[in-house]
Amino acid sequence: MDLNTIKDAFDRVAKKQKLSSTTTQDVVDKVIQEIESVVRKMQSIDDDADSTDQKVLFSELRSKLNEIAPMQQLEASQKELHIGLSKYSKLLEKYFNPDISKAYRHVDFDISTLNQIIATHFYRQGLFDLGDCLVNDAADPSAAEAVAALKSSFLDMYRILNAMKTGNLEAALSWAATNSERLLQNESTLELKLHQLQFVEILRNGSKNEALTYARKYLAPFASVHEDEIQKLMGCLLWAGRLDQSPYANDESISQTSTYRNKITEELTQQFCSLLGQSNESPLTVAITAGVQGLPTLLKLATVMAATKKQEWQTMKQLPVPVDLGREFQFHSIFVCPVLREQGSEENPPMLMPCGHVISKQSIVKLSKSSSRPFKCPYCPLEANVSQCRQIHF
Amino acid sequence: MIRVNHRIAEKEVSAVISSVSAAADRCEDMTSEEAVTHLTSLVSRLQGLKRKLEEGSKVEALQAQRCRARLEHLESANADNLNEWNDTRLKRILVDYMLRMSYYDSAVKLAESSNIQDLVDLDAFLEAKKIIDSLHNKEVASALAWCAENRSRLKKAKSKFEFQLRLQEFIELVRAGSTLPAIEYSRKYLAPWGATHMKELQRVMATLAFRSTTECEIYKVLFEAKQWDYLVEQFKQEFCRLFGMTLEPLLNIYLQAGLSALKTPFCYEEDCPKEDPLSQEGFRKLAAQLPFSKQHHSKLVCYITKELMDSENPPLVLPNGYVYSAKALEEMAKKNDGRVTCPRTGDVCNYTELVKAFIS
Ligand SMILES: [Zn+2]
Repeated sequence: MDLNTIKDAFDRVAKKQKLSSTTTQDVVDKVIQEIESVVRKMQSIDDDADSTDQKVLFSELRSKLNEIAPMQQLEASQKELHIGLSKYSKLLEKYFNPDISKAYRHVDFDISTLNQIIATHFYRQGLFDLGDCLVNDAADPSAAEAVAALKSSFLDMYRILNAMKTGNLEAALSWAATNSERLLQNESTLELKLHQLQFVEILRNGSKNEALTYARKYLAPFASVHEDEIQKLMGCLLWAGRLDQSPYANDESISQTSTYRNKITEELTQQFCSLLGQSNESPLTVAITAGVQGLPTLLKLATVMAATKKQEWQTMKQLPVPVDLGREFQFHSIFVCPVLREQGSEENPPMLMPCGHVISKQSIVKLSKSSSRPFKCPYCPLEANVSQCRQIHF
Repeated sequence: MIRVNHRIAEKEVSAVISSVSAAADRCEDMTSEEAVTHLTSLVSRLQGLKRKLEEGSKVEALQAQRCRARLEHLESANADNLNEWNDTRLKRILVDYMLRMSYYDSAVKLAESSNIQDLVDLDAFLEAKKIIDSLHNKEVASALAWCAENRSRLKKAKSKFEFQLRLQEFIELVRAGSTLPAIEYSRKYLAPWGATHMKELQRVMATLAFRSTTECEIYKVLFEAKQWDYLVEQFKQEFCRLFGMTLEPLLNIYLQAGLSALKTPFCYEEDCPKEDPLSQEGFRKLAAQLPFSKQHHSKLVCYITKELMDSENPPLVLPNGYVYSAKALEEMAKKNDGRVTCPRTGDVCNYTELVKAFIS
């Protein structure tokens, strides 16, 4: 079933609801009008007039009101609405009902830990107000203490990033200089790129001498490793103040489009997180996205197990079926022995046979009848001795 | 909501009509002044109704807008804006968590700053907060009003929440020593539940004999303050069920599923890459009681490049037994005159010494 069916049903309900409420209001309006007109008529009658006039007016009003038949109208419109509404809610149930809590194991997450994770998630996005607000709402001073160090690091990061956005590279440069060694270990040329930005900025404003001074002081140290880059930059000196006419006008590191600047900002964010020992993506985002991908499989499993092995769901040490996640969630090498169909472990590690095929240690022990004689590889015609097999590490 | 509005309208309109016919029947006895006053009062009554209906339809329109926004949000999920959609989903999940944890300020702040008010149930939870607060203050009135408002649906779900509220009110009367009012109360409000909940009813009635100072365990607990906390919990459950929400926060459900799917024995080793959430202490703690994931087939990731190793980018084995992807080692060899260095042991060897591993 697809979403459009639901949308149609919803539209019908919404329409009927509107219709019904207009009908109701119309009916009420009409009744009011009728009564008011009678009131006016009565007021125009002399006090001492015959009471039969009044009687006539009243019975006229009664029959008029009957004519409007308000109750019938109200009921009819309401009935239609209810039919639509109940159809709609049935559809909703059908479409959304898989009760996702079925796949839930009753373990209590440590609330303080969870709040620390969420607060950190906000801090790393620069949402400091929100992070603080959460810690506050949770009234958990130990959580606040636990996230304080990371918070101040991320405050630093956003101070640098915000300055960069306004074209001020000082904070970024000083951070890069302090962490120069570690950036190089990460094979990042961020420091050079930042100096490059600064140098081009000076050139753009036309000050050739200032640019030269800057280059001597800051770019020279990079000359040995990044010869090409430095030569290009020095070449730019000839076009000071009219860089857009230079042969480098299309070079993104010289023309410095906003895309290029964003790229550098992003690289700084990545490196900053990396040096902090933090991942590039928010781990909360990663875990939740994995959960969204994995939940359907877990739900199916839970439904099957609910029938037969309800207890096991709460206690199992390993899921009985694979939960396939996208490539981006593959952080570790998992070796599954193709003979035993079991995951490798310290006791049963993967072994490389002389033919190049890999099976688990236990499989080799079995095939060689407890290492007593040569055996044939299960995947090719070659024979092997146990002594020729060696353990490998992924 | 729709139904409530309609019922009010029906009642008012029919009352006015019958009042008109009644007046018509006895109009001979009325002076015209009386008749006018009478009719005018009917008109103002109807105008009151009209105001109420207008208000009601405003609320209805708002609710409809919310439903529509949610449907449109669901529909808007496609490949192009997947990141944005995922981001919104995480925010929704976080707002849900905050609301359930009673972190209202954070919830409102997050919903407003990311403009997803239509996608979360702020109002419903704020309404619930009032009831929870009053239960914490040992007042049942607003909870009872909520029960009355949702009576038919609660009944359908076989909820006994109202009964539990009544029991607590009765207990409070006993605590205060108001025996007669307590009996009166039980006749009126507890007796109707007798058919279905006789046992509990009897137990509570017995407190009339034992009083609040009883040392008898099964009655003593009825007077404890934690009964009110229990009512709060009960209310939260009923509330979630009524709104078709899961009892647990969505965050917990998704996080549990995700961590279980990600959890491998390698996550707990020192060289777990930091992109893995389970490299962090906090996530490890949360995952401690969850099962490990399972694989039926080998999935190999290069330690150096983090890329998948397969027939395109096959795993190569160093003499020391460590395995890296062909891509990574080729590059290393190119830069270092054909020599490769194992990043984990520091062992150096020639590219020619490497052998290909076949993993089925
Ligand atoms: Zn073989």
